[in-house]
Amino acid sequence: MTRSGTVATAPPTISAARAVDVVKLYGTGHTAVRALDHVDVELRRGEFTAIMGPSGSGKSTLMHCLAGLDTVSSGSVFIGDVELRSLSDKKMTALRRDRIGFVFQSFNLVPTLTALENITLPTAIAGRRPDPQWLDTVIDTLGLRDRLSHRPGELSGGQQQRVAVGRALAGRPEIVFGDEPTGNLDSRSSNEVLTILRTSVDRLQQTVVVVTHDPHAASYADRVLFLADGRIVDELRAPTADTVLDRMKGLEQ
Amino acid sequence: MRTVALRDLRSHKVRLALTLISVVLGTAFVAGSFVFTDTLKHSFDTIFATSDKGIDTRVQAVHGYQAGVPTGLLGTLEKLPGVAAVQPRIEDDLVLVDEHGKRVDTGGAPSVGGAWQPRTRIGDPTRIVDGRAPARTGEIVINDGAASKYHLRPGEHVKIVVPNAAVQAATIVGVYHVSFDTGGYVGALFSRAQAMSLFTDGRHYTAVDLAARPGVSEQALTARVAAALPTGLEAKTGTQVRDDDAQGVANALSFVTYILLGFGIVALLVGTFIIYNTFSMIVAQRQRELALLRAIGAGRKQVRRSVTSEAFLIGLVGSGLGLGGGIGLAFGLHALLDSLNLGLPSGGLVLSTRTILISVLLGTVVTVLAASAPARRAGRTAPVAAMREEFATPTAASLRRRTALGVVVAVGGAAVTVAGATASKASAAASFTGLGLVAVCAAAMLLSPVLARWLIVPLGRVIGRPFGPVGQLARTNAVRNPRRTAATAFALTLGLVLVTGIAVIGSSMKASIDKLFADNVTADYILTTSTSVNVPPAAAVAARHVPGVASVTEIQTLRASIDGKSRIGSSVDGPLTTVMRVPLDAGSSSTAGLRMIVSHKFATDHDWTVGTRHTLSVPGVRPVTVTVGGIFKDDQLIGDWAVNGNVYRALTPQNRWSDDVALVHASKGTDLEALRANLKRVTNDFYVVNVRNRTEYQGMIASQINGLLGLLYGLLGLAIVIAILGIVNTQALSVIERRREIGMLRAVGMHRAQVRRTVYLESLFIAVFGALLGVSLGVGFGALFTRTLRGQGLGTLSIPWTQAGLFVGLAAVVGVLAAVWPGIRAARTPALTAIATP
Ligand SMILES: Nc1ncnc2c1ncn2[C@@H]1O[C@H](COP(=O)(O)OP(=O)(O)O)[C@@H](O)[C@H]1O
Ligand SMILES: [Mg+2]
Repeated sequence: MTRSGTVATAPPTISAARAVDVVKLYGTGHTAVRALDHVDVELRRGEFTAIMGPSGSGKSTLMHCLAGLDTVSSGSVFIGDVELRSLSDKKMTALRRDRIGFVFQSFNLVPTLTALENITLPTAIAGRRPDPQWLDTVIDTLGLRDRLSHRPGELSGGQQQRVAVGRALAGRPEIVFGDEPTGNLDSRSSNEVLTILRTSVDRLQQTVVVVTHDPHAASYADRVLFLADGRIVDELRAPTADTVLDRMKGLEQ
Repeated sequence: MRTVALRDLRSHKVRLALTLISVVLGTAFVAGSFVFTDTLKHSFDTIFATSDKGIDTRVQAVHGYQAGVPTGLLGTLEKLPGVAAVQPRIEDDLVLVDEHGKRVDTGGAPSVGGAWQPRTRIGDPTRIVDGRAPARTGEIVINDGAASKYHLRPGEHVKIVVPNAAVQAATIVGVYHVSFDTGGYVGALFSRAQAMSLFTDGRHYTAVDLAARPGVSEQALTARVAAALPTGLEAKTGTQVRDDDAQGVANALSFVTYILLGFGIVALLVGTFIIYNTFSMIVAQRQRELALLRAIGAGRKQVRRSVTSEAFLIGLVGSGLGLGGGIGLAFGLHALLDSLNLGLPSGGLVLSTRTILISVLLGTVVTVLAASAPARRAGRTAPVAAMREEFATPTAASLRRRTALGVVVAVGGAAVTVAGATASKASAAASFTGLGLVAVCAAAMLLSPVLARWLIVPLGRVIGRPFGPVGQLARTNAVRNPRRTAATAFALTLGLVLVTGIAVIGSSMKASIDKLFADNVTADYILTTSTSVNVPPAAAVAARHVPGVASVTEIQTLRASIDGKSRIGSSVDGPLTTVMRVPLDAGSSSTAGLRMIVSHKFATDHDWTVGTRHTLSVPGVRPVTVTVGGIFKDDQLIGDWAVNGNVYRALTPQNRWSDDVALVHASKGTDLEALRANLKRVTNDFYVVNVRNRTEYQGMIASQINGLLGLLYGLLGLAIVIAILGIVNTQALSVIERRREIGMLRAVGMHRAQVRRTVYLESLFIAVFGALLGVSLGVGFGALFTRTLRGQGLGTLSIPWTQAGLFVGLAAVVGVLAAVWPGIRAARTPALTAIATP
């Protein structure tokens, strides 16, 4: 990985998303915060990646930039082979809708729509019909078939989050992003959600990236990236909760 | 706590502005109506105080149909003890024609003729400011206001049109000063002799004014005079004279006052919903902040008071501004009516203490009351709410009690309405229907959260279908908080109930007149005037001689006492059935000789039948006895009864003889256009006569109705403006409330345009819901009111469906327009707001 400022030309097809030499500044002048400091990341297809790091290390910022929710100060971000910087708001919105799935920590669902309507919302917004077979598969994976006509207010937090995962998967996106998707859940619900994400990677070849500060959650991933002060400082493959915890302890010292 | 309230006011500028505007508009209407009325009243009081100055007693005829005060009485009055001066008053309407042959149209202002008093005995002497006083027949002086407004000057040869004496030539020899100006008033003064011959029958004065000697009170003098009067005459004190004159004008203008006041109340009511909505939302949004205040030790009362003082400030500032707006409104209305030539006196606007007190008090109290429920809710905020995760789902308090109350009020309202619809007396029917309208509107307000769900869901399905998920989101958002939706929509509902109701009544008026004409009138041409001087009989005679005219039928209004009761009916010269259809129940339609025809209703009410004899009498004239010869089906054109023109002439002073209308029947095969030209030519010399065919006549009446409706629509438009502000307010606040949700939708791929469209559609649904409710109630009650007025000539109900549809369509457009700005704001919500922890 080089620190060249040049934009890569022929992106390898193996990556679902890439960040090349990304810098993200908040504010200007003396008070500017460098949330991302020349970050290079490549997220491979069909892989479950967890991004970890101490609070304020830039995890969320990195995810927002990768997912096209925020713009970078310099460097470039690719989803598949599309450079995000050149996209208009309209194209960016369409890209988020068609190629990216999101699971947020909270406030994921439209309270006035049923679970099923929430799941198919991005497809509906695009003016398309969901692929019924795929939808079936997703719903089966979620284990929510008997809750589809319920509104979010009638579901538990874990169930709501499973619906959010369902919505993220329903459009067959190239990549699913989650920012602390289990941050507000008890351990049982948390396991359910993570298992669904894991299953989607294993069975449906989905690419998943989650930001978390929970080593147990990170242990579901194939690969863990460690962030500190806006830089990628470490990487771990085939993590367990213990190995992740060890690395984290190392970082915090 | 006061600082918290103040800071909060400043931090919600937009909300503040919108709430303020609704208070301002409401109070402006109320204040405007007071200022307008006070101003007019003050002007007229001044006029009558000046024109009736020095009068202690006035002697006049009891009934309008009498000729006046006999001239012979003057000597008797002069000799009464305590009388200092006696001055006869001679006065009647006239029309002035300038030297170019152009009629001087005074609009609503009086155009009268009178006698020049060489020696003023009562009040201030009339001062000639240009030229000289009239000395002989054919010379007149006019008031300075008219001289300058209509460019008349001494030396000008003019013409005078008075009812029976027809057109007289005159020369203006002078201009006299009048210390008041009533926007176009014309007062032409003649020599006493000519005035007597033009405006009276030569044996009567219009009235006689008296002044008391020093030490004699006006009451004492009046009592003394009254004792000396023969029957048929009455004496009034000077104070009474001035009060009655002013009261007459006030009554004539009271409809303007009532309308303004009505709109003020509607505007305030509508404003109440906006204020309530705003404060509810402010309180909901500040839950955390309020809870924090509670957690750190603020008491319920303190929290409640902070919200109430916010409302108090808004109410105070808003009603203060509204007062200013009201003055502007009164000024504008005055200018508008002045430009319509209604003859309003000019004069400075009158702002009384009462106006200030009522406006400010009303505005402030309404605001504080509207905010009281939200304030109580704020006080009830639990301190732990500060720790809770905030979620935008509203606290869905049960609607059950509200709905139950709504049903009760609705049933009561329906019962009263039914009572109104079935009441036999028109006045009772109208008041019951009015009460029913108020109750049903109140019920609609109580029930509208439930109705909103019932109506918006199917409506949204239909209208929202082409928009897919955007339509669905808009629909579900619109019923998300039914109370708020209902309060927002109800402002529009209330405005449209009134607009549609008036439209139905107006349309029924036009339809009734059309039907009346289509069913009853067969005349080819209709001669009428648009002045206070009616058609001179000589004009009808001239029309009779035009080639191609088969007959001319003249109709006059006859006032007389019949069998001891004062009555108004018609008299007819010429054949009735050639120009009108007169369906008969019994007898014949002829009024020849001493025969009378009577309407079915009048005959039944008074037990008259064919063959009964009745005596028509007027004091000082020999009574005439007529026999009922026919009973006709009730008819608006003829009225209760009709007799022959000869009876009219026997009972009416000759100087007043004139026709309300002269109906021309053309011979078969006559070229109607040529006939029109000829009729115009021969009546042209009378200056006041209009020649119209049936269609033109109907059109003229329709345009008069439209003019009146236009004025009402204009005023109601302002109520709709407040409703729009309400929608803007609600949508803006909803958007702020749903920021995170909108951010989430943006994150998962909703385009800005789609976000905007969702807000537009939601607003459209709310507006169309409000409009549908309002238009339905308006149509219903418009029809019911029309029914109660069926005896007053509104026999035909006509519901302007196209217009009603247009109102709904307009509401949809208004809904979308009101959402433009909130929609743009919503679309700007960054996707990250959904994820960023607050
Ligand atoms: N909108 C923002 N404005 C200014 N600074 C920000 C903003 N968002 C994040 N930061 C700063 O950027 C750094 C990284 O933040 P973030 O990506 O949220 O960290 P993490 O998610 O790892 O806790 C922090 O120092 C944070 O204070
Ligand atoms: Mg974070």
